Formats: sequence, C-alpha cells, structure tokens
Amino acid sequence: MATQLIEHAQAEYPKEACGIIGGPPGEAVKVYRLTNVDPDPVMRYNADPKELKRVTDDIYDRDWDVVAIYHSHTHSPAFPSPTDVERAFYPEASYVLVSLMDRQRPDLRAFRIIEGEISEMDVAPRNDGQGRS
Amino acid sequence: MSVEVRIPTILRKHTGGARAVEAKGSTVREVIDQLDRDHPGLRAAILAEDGDMHRFINIYLNDEDVRFSGELETPVSDGDVVSILPAVAGGAAGG
Repeated sequence: MATQLIEHAQAEYPKEACGIIGGPPGEAVKVYRLTNVDPDPVMRYNADPKELKRVTDDIYDRDWDVVAIYHSHTHSPAFPSPTDVERAFYPEASYVLVSLMDRQRPDLRAFRIIEGEISEMDVAPRNDGQGRS
Repeated sequence: MSVEVRIPTILRKHTGGARAVEAKGSTVREVIDQLDRDHPGLRAAILAEDGDMHRFINIYLNDEDVRFSGELETPVSDGDVVSILPAVAGGAAGG
C-alpha cells in the first residue's frame, strides 16, 4: 500500500497529492485517490468536496472507517506541518505523509493528530518488502 | 420536515457516539439549530463564529454541496439526508 501512495505522490509532483484509505477499523484496505483543489496545490491540499462525499459515502455504506488520510509534501519532510495539525479533522484516522523532498528516495511516515498533539506510528514493513521506502 | 443528519467522528462526542441523528427544520440552518437544541455545542462545532458556513466544514444535502445551492438557506424535504463532513485539508505551507 505504501507503494500506491508513493506512486500517487510522484504522479502529482510538484503538487501535493491527497487521498483516503478506507477499511474496517484499524485495517487499511482500499486507497481512494482524491483531487487536490486547493488554489496553491504545491504547498497545500484540499480534497475536492464532491469526491470526498462520494468516497466517504462508500466507506459509510460498507460500514468501514476512514482509516487513514494521506498527502504528500513535495519540498519538506514527512512530518505534519502546523497547517496539517490545524486542519486535522479526523481524529479516528492515521495521517500518512509522503515526502518527495528527494524524489529518488521517497519517505513515508504515519502519525495520529489528536487535539493538536502529534504522535508517530510504526509503519510495519509489508511482506512484499514495500514498506517504508 | 424530518431529515437524517450524518455526524462525522470528530463531532460524535456531542451525539453520544451516534453516527446519524434525526432533526427537523425547513432549511439547513433550521436543521442545525434543531441539532444544537438536541445536542448542545453542535452548532458552534459546525458553523463559523459569525454563524455562516465554516471554510473547512462541508455540508451536503443528499449528494449536493450546499455551497452551490443556497448554503444554510437551502430548503430541505422530508427524508433528505444532511451530511456534515470536515474537509480533508492541510499542506506544507503555514497559515
């Protein structure tokens, strides 16, 4: 799954890519790419509200959760910015960041952001060897 | 008019954990006012301080974003579904 997120980030470069991962609680099953409609897409993201509705309806209908929200930073590290923290409206979700600061060596890290507090999560290496990098 | 209102996780502390609640009203604003009477604190969590729509809280009537249909004055009908959905937003830049 990390590979899918990095591919999306690379495809949108230099704009920030964004999307949602849905699944049963705590289980990342499906990646939903979303279109970044922020007027400054290189430095910010705001998912297309119409797509967001469609995706969250699908998640609701399956009785799933928004397990994670991901986006890329194209010129800074894979760590939540003050804007990320301020706009972290999904406390149930992990926030996954992909950094393409070095496009040849993408970095991927995951965090919980709850009431302004950032805590990093382990991103377990996958069996296919496509874990953190 | 009685409508179903879908509540995002971040606001379920106001609804005792319920994912969806019923509310009455003839416009989206009236529905939110009713919600706030039943679940105090919800209006302040959904709307901006000036009582208008919050920049990062989307409100949908059925599948339509009410920003394109009259915002809070959008009329509702019996059986409609109002969804409150925070933006998925952020980014590297400050501010």
